[in-house]
Amino acid sequence: MKLQIDRKPEIRAFLSDLLSRKGDNEPFSDDSSLLLSGRLQSVDAVAMAVFLEEKFNVDFAAIGFDQEMIDSVNAVSSLIETCN
Amino acid sequence: MSTAVVTNAAAPARKRAAFRPGEFRIIPSFEANAWMVAFAQSIPGKVTLLSCFGILLWYATNLHYPNPRWKLQIPFLILMTALPQYRRALLSISAVFWTFAIWGPWAEHPAPVQAAIVFVIAAILFRSAGRFRNSILARRPVATLLTGFTLLVMTASYLPHGALHYAIWTFLPVAGAYLWFIAYSLIDVRSKNADPFMRQAGTYQPFWGSTNTPFVKGAAYLRRIEAKSSEQLAIAQLKGMKLLLWSVALDLFLTYAYMPLVHGYLNVPYYDFVFHLSVQRAHFPCYQAWTSLISDFFEKMIELAILGHRIVAICRMAGFAALRNTYKPLTSKSIAEFWNRYYFYFKELLVDCFFYPTFMRYFKRSGRWRLFAATFAAAGFGNAFFHFFRDLNYIEQLGFWKALVGFQSYLFYTIVLATGIGISQIRERKSAAAGWLRRELGPLVCVCGFFCILRVFDYTYVRYPLSESFRFLAHLLGLIS
Repeated sequence: MKLQIDRKPEIRAFLSDLLSRKGDNEPFSDDSSLLLSGRLQSVDAVAMAVFLEEKFNVDFAAIGFDQEMIDSVNAVSSLIETCN
Repeated sequence: MSTAVVTNAAAPARKRAAFRPGEFRIIPSFEANAWMVAFAQSIPGKVTLLSCFGILLWYATNLHYPNPRWKLQIPFLILMTALPQYRRALLSISAVFWTFAIWGPWAEHPAPVQAAIVFVIAAILFRSAGRFRNSILARRPVATLLTGFTLLVMTASYLPHGALHYAIWTFLPVAGAYLWFIAYSLIDVRSKNADPFMRQAGTYQPFWGSTNTPFVKGAAYLRRIEAKSSEQLAIAQLKGMKLLLWSVALDLFLTYAYMPLVHGYLNVPYYDFVFHLSVQRAHFPCYQAWTSLISDFFEKMIELAILGHRIVAICRMAGFAALRNTYKPLTSKSIAEFWNRYYFYFKELLVDCFFYPTFMRYFKRSGRWRLFAATFAAAGFGNAFFHFFRDLNYIEQLGFWKALVGFQSYLFYTIVLATGIGISQIRERKSAAAGWLRRELGPLVCVCGFFCILRVFDYTYVRYPLSESFRFLAHLLGLIS
């Protein structure tokens, strides 16, 4: 049986840190769009990609990359689940 | 980076609050007023909004010369407002009319058949990428598309003059106008909820207008920003109205204040004219080089804002909460931020087609060089590729290699730009300096100075050798007069 781990707090904390470094302290829900809405930029997407590669072994070279994949906490969480 | 570039259509409208001087805006935030949002959702509100927008759009498009575009844009805006559930279908239908108009009666050299062929080829590519998931087209869609286009242009440039040469060279400019739209479609093939081709086609040179740079990206982006409720539509439309007002205000400012003041009263010569004087070895004082360059920098910025605001305003009015193309570039604190704020959709194109593929695939163990390499792929290679293949007339006239040699000044521009953005991105991660002068003014002067001087090498429509750009730089530095 596969053990279900809730990754969302970790993802939320990372995104929250990313936003606050840009001076954006507005709250966001697990479904809030962060990249496509413009709150985060391409450089932040890169930081997220590196975070996912290092922490969760996500290989974007194999699965392809689309901003929508990492646009929200829920999207990132489901991406990690798919990859693992 | 721009945290304020948020266009959150779902954000609830604020209740009316007491006026605070710090919150003064030239054009009020209609979408933040709950009464306005409610009114915009009612039938009288929609009629009022569409009427005001229509009149303003008609005025804006005819401000400088008669322009028939509003004749198609306004009816489709009315239809999309009245039938929001069919918005994407209407967008596809509008693309048929728009394509026929821009390549037919509105075109200098009509090419409706060539446009139809481009759509057929796009459909075949899209279907093939979807069907053969392991093919190189599906795995590397942009690289395959751009390689194919490059080979076609190279071959065409060496064809002897005749019927085949004529046929290909009347087709290529039309294909070039759709190249990046098709690239976005092919990227979307791998999405879980990718749109079918008929919907993708609605985003190819859409009816709100576009350049060769896709405004506003592709179908994937439209899915995300489409208004899902009557309130979201009202907010998007009010923001569209506001943006069109901005566009007209800027246009009037540029036409009736900035240009007469700078080029009339202050007698500052046009930059292209001064550059031409340099090419002709004519004498002119150093200050004229500087004033013409600086005035041109601001002129181009305002012109781009006018164009982008108008396109995005129509897109928002159609029910898509798109981000602005130009957003407060003069508040930028770094080169990378300026580039993001100055021409957002061009930057997004390069990021989606070059930056991400390079970053996700290569130099994974190279630390910060990985970011640098991806930046070079986008702002350097991608930028040069886009402009070289945009101006196909040079390749037709000179042949491929001569055209490439003639492109040397812009190639140098892209190398310096990519280096600047790359360094800026690495530096940006460090903490910002304290104090207004060091935090706000200093970075702004440096950023504007960088882009102003870089403008000397930014020649695409007219081709000068690199040595001429350096000669003008020497004028600026007072080394020659």
